[in-house]
Amino acid sequence: MMRAGPSQEEIRRQNLGALLRHVHLSGPTSRAELTSRMGLNRSTIMALTADLTAAGLVREELPRETGRAGRPSLVVRPESSRVYVLAFDIGVDRLVAARVGLGGVILDRAESPRDRGPFSLGEVSGLLAGFTGQMLKKVGADAVCVGVGVSFSGGVRRLDGVVRFSPNMGVADVPLGAELEARLGLGIPVAVGNDANLGALAEQARGVGAGSRDLIYLHGDVGIGGGIIASGQLLGGHGGYGGEVGHMVVNAGGRPCGCGSRGCLEAEVGERALLEAAGRFGHQVGRDAVRSVVDAADRGDVVAREALLRVGDWLGLGVANLVNIFNPEIVVFGGMLREIYLGAAAQVRSRINTDVLYASREHLRLRTPVLGDDTTLVGAAELAFAQVLADPLDALARVGA
Amino acid sequence: MSSQPVLEIRGLDKSFGPVQVLHEVAFSAYAGEVTALVGDNGAGKSTLVKCIGGTYSIDAGELLFDGRPVQVNSPREAADLGIEIVYQDLALCDNLDIVQNMFLGREKKSGLVLDEATMEEMAAKTLDSLSVRTVKSIRQLVSSLSGGQRQTVAIAKAVLWNSKVVILDEPTAALGVAQTAQVLELVRRLADNGLAVILISHNMNDVFAVSDRIAALYLGRMAAQVKTADVTHSQVVELITSGRSGELGLQNVNGVTA
Repeated sequence: MMRAGPSQEEIRRQNLGALLRHVHLSGPTSRAELTSRMGLNRSTIMALTADLTAAGLVREELPRETGRAGRPSLVVRPESSRVYVLAFDIGVDRLVAARVGLGGVILDRAESPRDRGPFSLGEVSGLLAGFTGQMLKKVGADAVCVGVGVSFSGGVRRLDGVVRFSPNMGVADVPLGAELEARLGLGIPVAVGNDANLGALAEQARGVGAGSRDLIYLHGDVGIGGGIIASGQLLGGHGGYGGEVGHMVVNAGGRPCGCGSRGCLEAEVGERALLEAAGRFGHQVGRDAVRSVVDAADRGDVVAREALLRVGDWLGLGVANLVNIFNPEIVVFGGMLREIYLGAAAQVRSRINTDVLYASREHLRLRTPVLGDDTTLVGAAELAFAQVLADPLDALARVGA
Repeated sequence: MSSQPVLEIRGLDKSFGPVQVLHEVAFSAYAGEVTALVGDNGAGKSTLVKCIGGTYSIDAGELLFDGRPVQVNSPREAADLGIEIVYQDLALCDNLDIVQNMFLGREKKSGLVLDEATMEEMAAKTLDSLSVRTVKSIRQLVSSLSGGQRQTVAIAKAVLWNSKVVILDEPTAALGVAQTAQVLELVRRLADNGLAVILISHNMNDVFAVSDRIAALYLGRMAAQVKTADVTHSQVVELITSGRSGELGLQNVNGVTA
């Protein structure tokens, strides 16, 4: 059926979401500024703010001081302590649960290291549900949870939050979203996303890539994940598994990879590749182990230096391929890749400068995340906020607020 | 990336007695970019920086700031233009806290007394704009800070004054790996916030990790100033050690014609 265009009600819903998103991402904003930024007239902004205020999503205040003559424009602030989401980050070495307020403020968090062993769905969801129980005890009576988001180090089916594969967690086909939803018992659907995809969204929303429409985020967590944002859209692919740059083959017939293939980027650049090349495999694991190699190389340890050169070269080759294909504005090195990039930047960039088309690298920026180790957690929170930002009033009605 | 450099030097000569340390040096720094200044020991990096900062007078050549020719006869004049230098020794006072250090010699006053509230707010705002999360309290004594935190305070002090050009002399030299990473990210953030940053470094990883341009000095001459996206590690090493690399660099070194 052909439709004439969106109805007034649809436009209003759209605008409510857009205004809330502005305040969520930019923090307290004056009505005057919202008017100019959204291109709507003042009375529309006033009506929209009134609706959001009535729903308890934002609050209006007089600004502290403007330093300018005339009646000051009211400032619209997100109700950070009242409207929140639950965000979980399930990495190979750590589990994090957080309560994040509208506007992106981390209100509360709990964290526990994770042993490298087989992944137990029951154990992990139980632990996260326990953390949540502790955090919810401290929550005020009028606070409302509007979503739950999880970042997972593995491939996640977009449709239902089932983890399809994760060679580094040793797990396949587990219904993470459904299980966590049942354990939490909040009656709120749990959205699950790939850690690097969420990291890309987080750095684009409130990190080093703010305002960028073409960004690639690479996340190192034992293996290597990728999130590719092209023309403002995250590339999810058909089933949601797109952007698995860690399994891009860079060295045909090279080192064996956990996925069953050989010479994948993650097999040549991942934690194990670095530690084996440095002759340190089996002693220490995780970020500390990676850091100790960079540290040793810095102090002049020849073996560690060689290992970093080797890994940096493969990383540069992988990034060079990505830059030639996607022509991103920014490439962000997150997780343990932050240490590897900073410790082997000369190698990484030399490779990129040699292998990438001039026009594609001319304005390329290589960066580390502004959100630091919280990038993926913040991404999970943004995933959880997606509903309320898309249709604020409907989302609130759904969670029974 | 703007086309006009914030700071431009043309044909700078500097001698100490009979020894000519800088020969017709040209150098530019751009807003929003990190320009790495590299060169062997004795290549003239520190002398060049001290000429820019007004510590040394120049014998010949021009200094342009925002396209206007300027004279810099003292560090105070450099600071007035918006040029700040963070030296390796950081020049922080151990017995003072972070706020006191950041405002040392340039304290804000309200009437006769120090305006502590304003200074505290400005210091906090500056650290916040640099996303500094490693410092717990801005009333901490500097003696209680780690090497990386001290470097952070020294850098924050330099950007507090709406400066336009910040020059950092080997900011990661004495730091461990974790702190080096933090300082490098801070250096990058200064430029991303719109400042022109000049980074003196011997560490090629640091240079490639954060710089947009590389200026290589060789025996007091500017061998080349190139975009970091156009060169490899080995080319930069060649520029530093021999003043040239293929087409790049000085084509007539030590009177020998190639």
